[in-house]
Amino acid sequence: MFDAAMAVVKPEMKSYIWLQTVDGSIQQVEEEVAMFCPMICQEVLQTGLGSSKTYAISLPQRVNPAMLGLILDYCRFHQVPGHSNKERKTFDEKFIRMDTKKLCELTSAADSLQLKPLVDLTSRALARIIEGKTPEEIRETFHLPDDLTEDLCQEEKLEPLRNITDDPRIRLLNRLYARKRKELKERKKLKDVEVEEEPKDERSVEDLLSFINGADGDIKGTRANKNKKKNRRRKDHAKDISSENTNENDKELNPLPSAYHDVNFDNALEASASKHSRTQNLPAINFSPKFEFIDGDVDDDLDPAMKEELDREVEDFARRLNSDWPERMQILSLGQDRRLVPISMNSNGSTHLYTGFDQR
Amino acid sequence: MECRRKKENQKSNSTFPDEVLERILGMLKSRKDKSTVSLVCKEWFNAERWSRRSVFIGNCYSVSPEILTRRFPNIRSVTLKGKPRFSDFNLVPANWGADIHSWLVVFAEKYPWLEELRLKRMTVTDESLEFLALKFPNFKALSLLSCDGFSTDGLASIATNCKNLTELDIQENGIEDKSGNWLSCFPDSFTSLEVLNFANLHNDVNFDALEKLVSRCKSLKTLKVNKSVTLEQLQRLIVHVPQLGELGTGSFSQELTSQQCSDLESALKNCKNLHTLSGLWVATAQYLPVLYSACTNLTFLNFSYAPLDSDGLTKLLVHCPKLQRLWVVDTVEDKGLEAVGSHCPLLEELRVFPADPFDEGIVHGVTESGFIAVSQGCPRLHYVLYFCRQMTNAAVATVVQNCPDFTHFRLCIMHPGQLDYLTQESMDEAFGAVVKTCTKLQRLAVSGYLTDLTFEYIGKYAKNLETLSVAFAGSSDWGMRCVLDGCPKLRKLEVRDCPFGNGALLSGLGKYESMRSLWMSDCNLTMNGVRLLAQEMPRLNVEVIKEESYETHQAKKVYVYRSVAGPRRDAPPFVLTL
Repeated sequence: MFDAAMAVVKPEMKSYIWLQTVDGSIQQVEEEVAMFCPMICQEVLQTGLGSSKTYAISLPQRVNPAMLGLILDYCRFHQVPGHSNKERKTFDEKFIRMDTKKLCELTSAADSLQLKPLVDLTSRALARIIEGKTPEEIRETFHLPDDLTEDLCQEEKLEPLRNITDDPRIRLLNRLYARKRKELKERKKLKDVEVEEEPKDERSVEDLLSFINGADGDIKGTRANKNKKKNRRRKDHAKDISSENTNENDKELNPLPSAYHDVNFDNALEASASKHSRTQNLPAINFSPKFEFIDGDVDDDLDPAMKEELDREVEDFARRLNSDWPERMQILSLGQDRRLVPISMNSNGSTHLYTGFDQR
Repeated sequence: MECRRKKENQKSNSTFPDEVLERILGMLKSRKDKSTVSLVCKEWFNAERWSRRSVFIGNCYSVSPEILTRRFPNIRSVTLKGKPRFSDFNLVPANWGADIHSWLVVFAEKYPWLEELRLKRMTVTDESLEFLALKFPNFKALSLLSCDGFSTDGLASIATNCKNLTELDIQENGIEDKSGNWLSCFPDSFTSLEVLNFANLHNDVNFDALEKLVSRCKSLKTLKVNKSVTLEQLQRLIVHVPQLGELGTGSFSQELTSQQCSDLESALKNCKNLHTLSGLWVATAQYLPVLYSACTNLTFLNFSYAPLDSDGLTKLLVHCPKLQRLWVVDTVEDKGLEAVGSHCPLLEELRVFPADPFDEGIVHGVTESGFIAVSQGCPRLHYVLYFCRQMTNAAVATVVQNCPDFTHFRLCIMHPGQLDYLTQESMDEAFGAVVKTCTKLQRLAVSGYLTDLTFEYIGKYAKNLETLSVAFAGSSDWGMRCVLDGCPKLRKLEVRDCPFGNGALLSGLGKYESMRSLWMSDCNLTMNGVRLLAQEMPRLNVEVIKEESYETHQAKKVYVYRSVAGPRRDAPPFVLTL
């Protein structure tokens, strides 16, 4: 009789829910533990499934056996009444100590089971992982693609071809002037390309807006890199032009009167002597021919006085750029200064220079 | 919208569904982190876009309301800044712009559930405040700092119509204070207020209305009253709200009987959560002792309008062992600052304002001696704003040696072009010491006689600098170039009365798109130089403020900022957009 009583009690001690994961494996879970998940609870109440191996509850695809094991560990602990808040907190802190990938999978699985406390716990842990990182670091940590700026890179590849096609004929006073305006046009064209893209692709605008909203060191660093790259290309371009100038100068210098040579050499020395000099006036001997040339150029719609002032400012600007070059580049810079006079003599010089540039 | 989101979901390459990723990103607190995650990839960009609830816009012309609402569809809280900071020094003319109304019109359509609006240096009219009060049924928090254009009529609209209001914070505004009756416009059923600050209003308030309001708002935690509230009235208010965390006392001056004095002390003593104290516009030394028992837990004392002397401050500080932030007027003199050094070991932020910046004859104020004393006693100091009449290179070097963790260092030697008063040398080495020693420096304001050497130091060492303010300093374009070339994180550059010209301006071409703004006034800029900048950088807004009636080639006031919204649509005639 006593034995019989024991036998009767024993079958009633535990109830189980049968759960099936997407890979087909089925396992038996204590009812009170499984029911802690709202999604499972709903399934049991609404469909009656889960009572046997044949009628196991099919879990969402995001719940694989490993994740299910973790989730059930969490549920086993928290469904037991009587744990203090401190104990629960300690358990949670230990529980979320896992690598980022597993933490992501766990978050996703817990969400599909509607287990909000666990989703909150893992989401907060992931947020803490994200804090303070740069976009590059986040992509690396979470294995994400760098697809936000893909199109921009492609645009950059197209830029040289477009530039060559659209390069206008150079008609400006001197080498320096022409180079500066050309740079202006090139960059403006680049901006126009971006503007054209804007209606099609809102991202560049929104990207910049996001940048503006929370501008800070790391993001600015990203943008600064882009600027840096652009600047580097410009410098290389300038260097090539300078080399070309040197060659041209060697060829054309001999026919010139020695007086011109001496004057410009002194001019160049003066320029190099004072790194921080302000705008430097050209010798008067150069001024008059240039002015004459301006009057003769009917296509130029700039006012001569404005042009002159702009010219000085452009030269000053170029000097600032040049001052960043290594010291040996100063020689090329000097050559460039010497080159000013021949250009101003006649429009043929300008045309010839353009031809040389094109051949490059 | 739902269709769009579903479509985007199909392209998902992450382990998260959208709602989970949005929840994770929604937990990020800092603006920097929010912006960072939106630059990670397309999926995170969109998740951050949909999950974002609050947005900060550092320049109201850098983006349009239409672009903002398209980018972030679910915003509940907006923080917006308007005029350049030098408007605080009357360098920006009246009617320059920064009007909030066009933003509110768009928000009413796109963000009808807007809850919070925090504005700084914006122009706000009474009509705008009425519009705000009527169009946003869930509106809770309004903060107006250094704004202008409104009157107490606008506040009356807010009080009348914002039934869920929790915060009304009106500080340092150019407000037309018509009367104090706006307080009686709060409905009798209104009980939700948590923050009430009208400290800078001037008129007498309707005290009965104020007392009723305070007594029924059981969640009130910040109360800052204006000068018109007497000590007796203050006591009557405080007994209703012993839970206060922040108190602004008003003038703190009145003839009290000993019983009234005792009652006030008792009421203050009962405020056990008090952590911030401000006011004392006309502090009487006689009544300071009633504060002593309330100071135990104070972390912030804002006495920037309280003309305390050194003795008054010293006796008070003995009772403030937990003080972290202290704002005072230079009437405390060096002796008062020595007391700060002696009694405030936890101090992190010190601001010393001039009582009378234009008073030439009086020999008072603070000097290098007080500065050194504070630095010796407060090793955690990392924010300083210090107006003084004299300074030395050696003193500044000592200060940063004692406190190398400065993030904000703003030194204002009040006479332009002043030398180290002991050695009669430039102050270059002082700021050289600052940037060499304080590697975390984010904000720097320089003063005194400075050559380009200071800016060489800044460009070479200040690798975390974000904001630089320069006045009456430098020798040539080289100085500004060093800063633009050498400070990779620079966001704001404010320059006035310096010899920087077009070359300096144009040397930053590759820099300005990564900066929030550049202000240059009374420098050596010409219209042609500024035009060249505008021509070269079409995505920057390059504006010249032209107040002269005569024609000139000089560009006296130049404001350059990046914008995705293009040129301003509301520029007045004196703002030329190049």
